[in-house]
Amino acid sequence: MAIREDVLVVGGGIAGATAALAAAESDAKVRLLSHKKSTLRQASGLVDVLGAIPRGGSTDGSGAVSDGAAPADEGSTDQSELVADPLAAIERLPEDHPYRVVGADGIRNGLEIFDDVVGDAYEGGHTDRNALVLTHGGTVKPTARYPQSVAPGLASAEKKTLLVGFAGLTDFDAPAAAAHLDAAGVPFDVDGATVTFPIQFRDDALTTRFAKALDKDQSGVRKRLADVVSEQLDDHERVGFPAMLGDDAGEEVRADLEDRLGAAVFQIPTGPPSLLGMQLEDLLFDALDAAGVRISSGNLAVGYEANDGRIESVLVDQRGNEVPYAAEEFVLATGGLVGKGIDSDRESVTEPVFGCHVPHPEDRYDWSEPAAFGAHAFARFGVVPDGDLRPTDGSGSEEFENLRAAGGVLGGADTAREKSAAGVSLATGAHAGRRAGEEATR
Amino acid sequence: MSKTPSALVLGGGSTGCGIARDLAMRGVDVTLVEKGNLTHGTTGRMHGLLHSGGRYAVSDQKSATECIEENRVLRRIASHCVEMTGGLFVQRPEDDDEYFEEKLQGCRECGIPAEALSAEEAREMEPYLAEDIERAIRVPDGAVDPFRLCVANAADAIEHGARVETHAEVTDVLVEDGEVVGVEVEHASDGGSADGLDSFVHGEPGTTEELYADYVVNATGAWAGQIGEMADVEVAVRPSKGVMTIMNVRQVDTVINRCRPKGDADIVVPHETTCILGTTDEEVEDPEDYPEEGWEVDLMIDTLSELVPMLSEARTIRSFWGVRPLYEPPEVGSEDPTDITRDFFLLDHDERDGLPGMASIVGGKLTTYRMMAEDIADHVCERLGVDAECRTAEEPLPGSEDFSVLRDWMDEFGLRSPVGLRSAERLGSRIDEVLGEWDGPNPTVCECEAVTRAEIQDAISQSGTELNAVRIRTRASMGNCQGAFCCHRMANELVPEYDEPTARDALDDLYQERWKGERHALWGEQLSQAMLKHHLHATTMNRDGDPAATGEEIDFGAFDAGESEGELSDTSGGDRSGDAVADGGRRTRTDETEGDADGDS
Amino acid sequence: MSDAENSPPTEPIDSPSQGGPEPGSDFEPVSVFGDSETTMDLRPGADNCYKCSVCDTSCPVAEVDDDFPGPKFQGPEQWRLKRKEGSEIDDSIMSCSNCMRCDDACPSSVPLSQMHNTARGEYVDEQMDKLSVEYVRNRILANYRTSAWFASKVPRLANAVMSFGPTRWVMEKAMGVTSEREFPAFATQTFREWWRKRGGADASRRNAREARERRGDPADADKKIAYFHGCYSNYNTPEVGKALVHVFESFGYEIVAPEQRCSGTPMFANGMLADAERAAEVNVSSFADLVEEGYDAVASCTSCSMALKQEYPELFDIDGIDDVAENTFEALEYLRIQEDLEGAIADASVEEQAFAYHAPCHARNQGLDRQALELFRELDGVAMEDVGDSCSGISGTYGWKEEKYENSMKIGEDMFEHMHDAAGDVGMTECPTCAMQMEHGTGYEIKHPLQLLEEALC
Repeated sequence: MAIREDVLVVGGGIAGATAALAAAESDAKVRLLSHKKSTLRQASGLVDVLGAIPRGGSTDGSGAVSDGAAPADEGSTDQSELVADPLAAIERLPEDHPYRVVGADGIRNGLEIFDDVVGDAYEGGHTDRNALVLTHGGTVKPTARYPQSVAPGLASAEKKTLLVGFAGLTDFDAPAAAAHLDAAGVPFDVDGATVTFPIQFRDDALTTRFAKALDKDQSGVRKRLADVVSEQLDDHERVGFPAMLGDDAGEEVRADLEDRLGAAVFQIPTGPPSLLGMQLEDLLFDALDAAGVRISSGNLAVGYEANDGRIESVLVDQRGNEVPYAAEEFVLATGGLVGKGIDSDRESVTEPVFGCHVPHPEDRYDWSEPAAFGAHAFARFGVVPDGDLRPTDGSGSEEFENLRAAGGVLGGADTAREKSAAGVSLATGAHAGRRAGEEATR
Repeated sequence: MSKTPSALVLGGGSTGCGIARDLAMRGVDVTLVEKGNLTHGTTGRMHGLLHSGGRYAVSDQKSATECIEENRVLRRIASHCVEMTGGLFVQRPEDDDEYFEEKLQGCRECGIPAEALSAEEAREMEPYLAEDIERAIRVPDGAVDPFRLCVANAADAIEHGARVETHAEVTDVLVEDGEVVGVEVEHASDGGSADGLDSFVHGEPGTTEELYADYVVNATGAWAGQIGEMADVEVAVRPSKGVMTIMNVRQVDTVINRCRPKGDADIVVPHETTCILGTTDEEVEDPEDYPEEGWEVDLMIDTLSELVPMLSEARTIRSFWGVRPLYEPPEVGSEDPTDITRDFFLLDHDERDGLPGMASIVGGKLTTYRMMAEDIADHVCERLGVDAECRTAEEPLPGSEDFSVLRDWMDEFGLRSPVGLRSAERLGSRIDEVLGEWDGPNPTVCECEAVTRAEIQDAISQSGTELNAVRIRTRASMGNCQGAFCCHRMANELVPEYDEPTARDALDDLYQERWKGERHALWGEQLSQAMLKHHLHATTMNRDGDPAATGEEIDFGAFDAGESEGELSDTSGGDRSGDAVADGGRRTRTDETEGDADGDS
Repeated sequence: MSDAENSPPTEPIDSPSQGGPEPGSDFEPVSVFGDSETTMDLRPGADNCYKCSVCDTSCPVAEVDDDFPGPKFQGPEQWRLKRKEGSEIDDSIMSCSNCMRCDDACPSSVPLSQMHNTARGEYVDEQMDKLSVEYVRNRILANYRTSAWFASKVPRLANAVMSFGPTRWVMEKAMGVTSEREFPAFATQTFREWWRKRGGADASRRNAREARERRGDPADADKKIAYFHGCYSNYNTPEVGKALVHVFESFGYEIVAPEQRCSGTPMFANGMLADAERAAEVNVSSFADLVEEGYDAVASCTSCSMALKQEYPELFDIDGIDDVAENTFEALEYLRIQEDLEGAIADASVEEQAFAYHAPCHARNQGLDRQALELFRELDGVAMEDVGDSCSGISGTYGWKEEKYENSMKIGEDMFEHMHDAAGDVGMTECPTCAMQMEHGTGYEIKHPLQLLEEALC
């Protein structure tokens, strides 16, 4: 077969990228195969490791307050309990959680790779503790790493804060968010102001349009924006905007605004379209390039060829042609239900590339809970790893000798309620990639 | 007495709203009370079929004749609530030939325009019909939006002086000297608004109020028995549940009926942006507490894919159940609810139970709601000694006055044509008032259903803080994302008129309501959608771990305050153009910020 | 094999052809909104969309043009709101450049470009004034091959006329074709003229056999390809076609160059689906026979391979269309799958040279955006830099339109900057219109990867 590497990673999100980088450390020839743009673009760009212990359903039920965790008013609510020290809290996760397989060291390894990749673009690496960031919904959320443009807005910094929203943007309402933060008891005064963006775009213009205009300082927009915001500034020490302050030149835009306003300027992460997520995606792919990882993206992995319990190649559908991509070791990092690494129909839940076993309740009405934020079984759907992150079949034996799984495709974690999606991807990606590299070059 | 005769209408479904409008137009002083939103009961929980009468053309020709008459009336007076899709009765190879002929004959006997089509002709109209169908009958079925219809009736009633009170549950029927004189209601503390809004008046939340009137009409449908109990009369409604499964898109643009005598899962109604599959017919004890089960959803998909095969793989976005207020005189004693007549009954409690001052209306169907209302209003007027003609069949409802949906939306209101078209279909002739008078940016709040801020604000001005009421007026959050991307935007629209905790509560209610129905569609694409929604609201917004909601005090000091606490980030002055990346490297947008490390200040 | 040059390339325009795909058990869009295939029902395609907006973040037009609401609105949202009657396509569909980056972005396989192509076709058919300057201009741009065919008869005269100032002034004022751009020069000898002179398929068979002998392949090895050269390699850059011939022959492949028309790409982008279908019918019919005989179709232009692989089966129902689609490859893609290209390159070397490489959007959409970089990284003597993942901005005919020119250059700005920053002063790309834009923005000479491969291996 013409296309052959030592390690083939299937999936181009955080887990896949981390696995490929970890595998490349062993001097293995690595190829990363991705279908389309990853869920990074839908995510906020924050790197959560473990932000909360969900109450009810998925925990061990002890309800004990871990070191540094916010005090819990036990049993009063089904809301999740926020965690300040993620590494100390992992032992409170269920037995089948991927963190229980890789442990705190696994998480550290993952974060180490991440920190190398992002350099100064992210902060938070100076401590094991979580920081609280403001969300565009007006709450606070514990996270482990955050873009440098988010850093000046941390909720534990006691600085009088002004939130600024734009009149035509519906996702973020600054006065509502400010009032909400106040209700959450943040230790600083916070106000919200809605202003008109200095350039009048169509009402349905995309956020990338705003970002681009700021990047290029189109029609002197930065100064004009600063002028508009100045009128509301008073004695506020920092100003938060929804994360659309430029893209390519984001840091320049932010510095420019800080300079003009004489106050710190920060971004509040948003849902899709997420510029911060896109920027993280770029950092990861730059790092893959620098590490010599080959990348094939745009086509779907649809199957595999195996012999004697070992996968020989993954078949990729290149517009009707199934092209084999051969390797010694494989990493499955295709994501969960959103990333389409896990698929479902009315009767069953499946992993579509290798057909790995995905346990699920027989009755689909047991896949979810009546409460919208309940302990949904579907949130934990995924393959079941052995101690080396190899997916196992129904009887607990490995599906294939040379296949490991990482990230959202792994079951057992309710990453949404735990705020652990990126952390699980980093930790398991690092483990699966390192082991694949070791095995392939042995 | 010189005082204006008064009537109290219980129930804000199509019947109650229709009666309120009719009576108000005849000069009666009307108050309508509804325990939830308008359409809270059965009206809001049906598939939205505007009957041509074809469905009853064999089994119940009286109903069939009434249907076609009212079908024509509604097209005239409620054009903005009706879409004339046309309908087909489709025969499959296993369906009875004789019944097909009877249906065709029956339609003709009832004055329903009906035309037999070959399979080829039917498939030309609806290409996704199964290849092996035999033939079809084309009839003037349509789709009606029950929410819009009720709201328009209520709005017109108010226009004619009525008071409409939602979120006011009847807690007692007041009987004095052996006569019904009014009811006691409790104003809900968690819905509606205390502010005097333009149209729907609301009592002070959490208070009770006694309302008196010369006559009381119990139009509470499946709940009529409960009201009856409060007045010590028996109204033996036999509630029967039916499931409706909503598809993400319209696979058909015509109502598709199965041409066979009776049975579950025999209709597909194109409704707004979706298709609704219906339904089942199963008697239940309590109209508010009955099982909603997966087999019912599966039955819809599996059976109706016999008519439209692509339904088996198509995405459903939710399912909901409705309870029909079936009634038959106790002496009939049908075993099977499908045998119970769809006709309506007026129970005059004076004649029937010796309790003057109140009548109950039970049975019936949405298509003939106006005719039912006319009958009841005639009865009430007779009791009240009011001599006035019914005008509801002639006067168009607000929104349905002369109006063309095809205009240049971009020039007029800055809207993209599909957005303008959908707004016009929902608002009808009110569009000029709602969009034309809007000042300021008018972004799209709900992208799935193309609902703009102006329309949301208009709905808020009508119904206050309850976002579920905003939803049924606008369809915002009723599309494929089921509120994932717009619930919080809708809540944001409440601020600053209402305070943040109110908006937050409204968001939680809407989010949970959306979840309830979406749970019945959780597989395939909709499960992926639900997971994305879960991530957006739990991960990105942390709405499930929100200290503001729990009232928990967070020890902010236990969390890190940042490495560079206290400094402005030092990012100014660098040369951001950066250098070319190393041999073989891939140059991307972020190289620029990396290049900054070498730049000097 | 008949030769396309014997007949003018397009039939008289104006009779929209009938018929559309047959409904099948899987979802096959069918025509429900009208008679022609330009009005297929793609509403069910909206089932795949979960509104994640990734398509919007990938759209180069929405980023510079706020009149364009983005691919999500133009695609699944607009389709979902559509009705059998009374719907109009929003006119912003004409601002989509058909770069298809949304297709490449969508993690959920929404048929975005198909939706855009179809909606644009419907818009042009039903809502656009056929006498408008815009329509006529688009029609002419879309049917580039017709103009090129005439020009190739008198290339020197054509070149002189097209670079003549007053001609360009009139074209811009009267037709809306920007005068900012230089028209590509027509070659004095087309690829097909060269090919015929060289001895056509027979010569190629002899060359292939010799190469097999040299390589130690069996003499009767099943190595034969049908070359889809497209218009540009034929009329403007025959050196690319020649490079393909030399490279493939060196690996022992017999080549034929069957009758062919424009792939249809510029027609899709302008909503001229009837024109595109007529061209597709000729192409499919001539390649389907060859595919049946065991030939694979190979294109040197990534937009052409895109059209044959994806747009044809999505938009048309022509006998043999799926077989052709499944057996069509881009040149480098094909060699990488079939041959040890990496090994061959590792043993080769060329004179020291540096390139600024741009991956065309349509290459990206086929998953081919990194193959040239990956390959030439290993080639001794070559330094190759990627100039970024942005769109070049020209998108075929988009950048030629007077009213789009400025946006086209804004979109290309990042690429131009990165090209200037790159060490090399020769550009490289697979796409002829990207090459025009690269040259226009930097003045660099632009090469096709096959030309470098030719230099390394032949």
